[in-house]
Amino acid sequence: MSLWLCLRFSQLPLQCLNHSEEQAVVVLSKQRVLRANDCAASLGITEGMGTATVRALAEHEAIILLERDIQAEQRCLQQLCCWAYTITPALYTFREDCLQLEIGGCLKLFNGLDALLGKVASGTGSRGYRTHYGLAATPKAAWLLSFADANTAIDIQQELKVRLAPLPLALLDSFSSTVDSLRKAGLHRFSDILPLPTAALGRRCGKDFTHYLQQLLGEREDLQPDYRPPEAFNDEYWFGYEVKANTELLPAMQLLLQSLCQFLRSTQLQTAEIQWQLIGIDSTLRPVIVRSSNPHSHWESWYQLTCIRIDQLQLAGSVEGIALQCHTLRTGELESMDLFNPHNQREPLNSLLDRLRSRMGLQAVEQVSCRDEHLPEFALHISSDSQAEKDTTDTPCAQRPFWLMPQPQSLRQHGDKLYWHGKLKLVYGPERIEDNWWREAISRDYYIAADNYGQHYWVFCDRLARCWYIHGVFA
Amino acid sequence: MNEILEQVIQRRDTWRGYRDQFSSNTASANSAAHATDGLPTGYDNLDAALFQHGWPQGNTIELLSDIGTPAAMGLFLPAMEALSEQGRWQAFIAPPYTPYAPLLAARGIDTRQILLIHPRSREDLLWSTEQALRSTTCSTVFSWLGASEYRYSELRKLQLAATGSDALAILFRPTQAAKNHAPATLRLQMLAHRKIHILKQRGGHQGIEVVLPPVEEIPEQSQLWALPARTESGQQQSPAMGA
Repeated sequence: MSLWLCLRFSQLPLQCLNHSEEQAVVVLSKQRVLRANDCAASLGITEGMGTATVRALAEHEAIILLERDIQAEQRCLQQLCCWAYTITPALYTFREDCLQLEIGGCLKLFNGLDALLGKVASGTGSRGYRTHYGLAATPKAAWLLSFADANTAIDIQQELKVRLAPLPLALLDSFSSTVDSLRKAGLHRFSDILPLPTAALGRRCGKDFTHYLQQLLGEREDLQPDYRPPEAFNDEYWFGYEVKANTELLPAMQLLLQSLCQFLRSTQLQTAEIQWQLIGIDSTLRPVIVRSSNPHSHWESWYQLTCIRIDQLQLAGSVEGIALQCHTLRTGELESMDLFNPHNQREPLNSLLDRLRSRMGLQAVEQVSCRDEHLPEFALHISSDSQAEKDTTDTPCAQRPFWLMPQPQSLRQHGDKLYWHGKLKLVYGPERIEDNWWREAISRDYYIAADNYGQHYWVFCDRLARCWYIHGVFA
Repeated sequence: MNEILEQVIQRRDTWRGYRDQFSSNTASANSAAHATDGLPTGYDNLDAALFQHGWPQGNTIELLSDIGTPAAMGLFLPAMEALSEQGRWQAFIAPPYTPYAPLLAARGIDTRQILLIHPRSREDLLWSTEQALRSTTCSTVFSWLGASEYRYSELRKLQLAATGSDALAILFRPTQAAKNHAPATLRLQMLAHRKIHILKQRGGHQGIEVVLPPVEEIPEQSQLWALPARTESGQQQSPAMGA
């Protein structure tokens, strides 16, 4: 049996623009009040009032008048869809401010209806939307029932016709002329028309109206295309007050990351880069990009990396909201850690790399590898990217030091003695290395030198320039 | 027993006076049961001098040497070689120079595991050392703390981070740091090439000197921690300077 949950966000036009509860806020559409928040309602402002009336009522109080922003509403509804997609894959947006979720198929997954409704309530509550619920076997009935009182709206044991009975016909605003003529005939509620024969009602009110009623009662199919998750992730969080300290951002970021990772998990995608936008009080945007070397979908590790970045961040002004964006999504790859790893390694190798890089930058962590080159400085390759293959230098190389200096440093020479933090004595060599003749010929005689403490160095004599250099230190 | 006292005794790094009076199942830091065998150093007489017959893992080890000479990495080459099998990172934090990859490869160390970390400040240095120790993804952590002074609490933080892992954690510090106390379980001082002075060793002998003989080097791998395996071959010659 299909079961539809209608989520009606009655204050969406208002709450998508402003979450304030301390100040009176009114959203206007065509100079009439569309929605007013509780604060404004307590001043006596109701829907449908003109602007002049509102101003007169809010004589001494500060009041915010906002123009309706339909695009913002749709954006919010899309974000809510994104979130609701973690509950059920069968859902679509309905009218301008509703979501229809088919939850009959996922009751078992959530351990029953109560647990599912609890999850929905916490999800919408944390986003700060006032939500009305309606539960019924058809989406249209679920929507109508969202106007009923809270108990009837979710009481699916009762018969649908009984539950619909007390609702006014005036709710059907797409059939306003039909409803008007029915009202003139003394029919005000669903209880008045539901017992009437369909054919007779059809003759009087038209085919569309009876179709609607049939869809409402589940006697006619009512098919709608399901919501498709977007290609990229976008979500926002509004504090409703000014945030000045970095640490105050973290709980909200945690929440957004959880919703991102839920989205990633439900779409089976992964990402290697997320972008934060810190929305300032003056609507300035400050981007913060966090990267990871492996695409994954664990919010904990994204949170850790974000914390490292936020720690170092200097907030220029106060922040009013944060947005999380994620544009490059890849299909998920399974990763596994050795369950029987004997070395109590508790996280993937790359997570350390990511933490270090997010604090100190990409260049701060390097890796070394060998190159098949004759000159020592070219045989050592240093890069910030990890290399793919294991070095297999089977040929036992001659005497090579543990440390190589980035640049050979010239040695002080006194008579026939060499000095480097003390007197050096050549103990082994020479080994001649000549290369690079096609560009700038290099010819060196490498020796091993020891100082008074027994420390050994790798020094060479540049045969062309006749100078001595130190190039490495033996371990 | 007092609950707080009990908790303190349960800790791995708590010392107790009379070890015979307590059962050995809650081993304290100085009891024999605590001392699982260390990681063999690759040098027999050094192993013999060390309490755990090898490097203590999951603890910090301080190696003090003078700044002019980059501390003797050869001491740890056999350990690095053995730990290379684990496939975890071998982190070099603020190294003085670059480890020469062809040598490491020739010694059987997987160069892909070598991480060079270049912190820009003292805070970053401490932070990255602590991160590397905490992360459990490193088999060895070498950290060149440099000449600056460190508070006991800062070093203690590193020691605590190390106790949570099983990594070989080496902190390189200058010789003058020997004057101050440090929470490391093992403190070594390089007196000269291949000559080690054990300054402090938890549970073992202190103040002894160990000289590592060159005979222990494997002849075919002459690059061991220094050199000439073939000095007897008579190749030594004093080249004419500036020739």
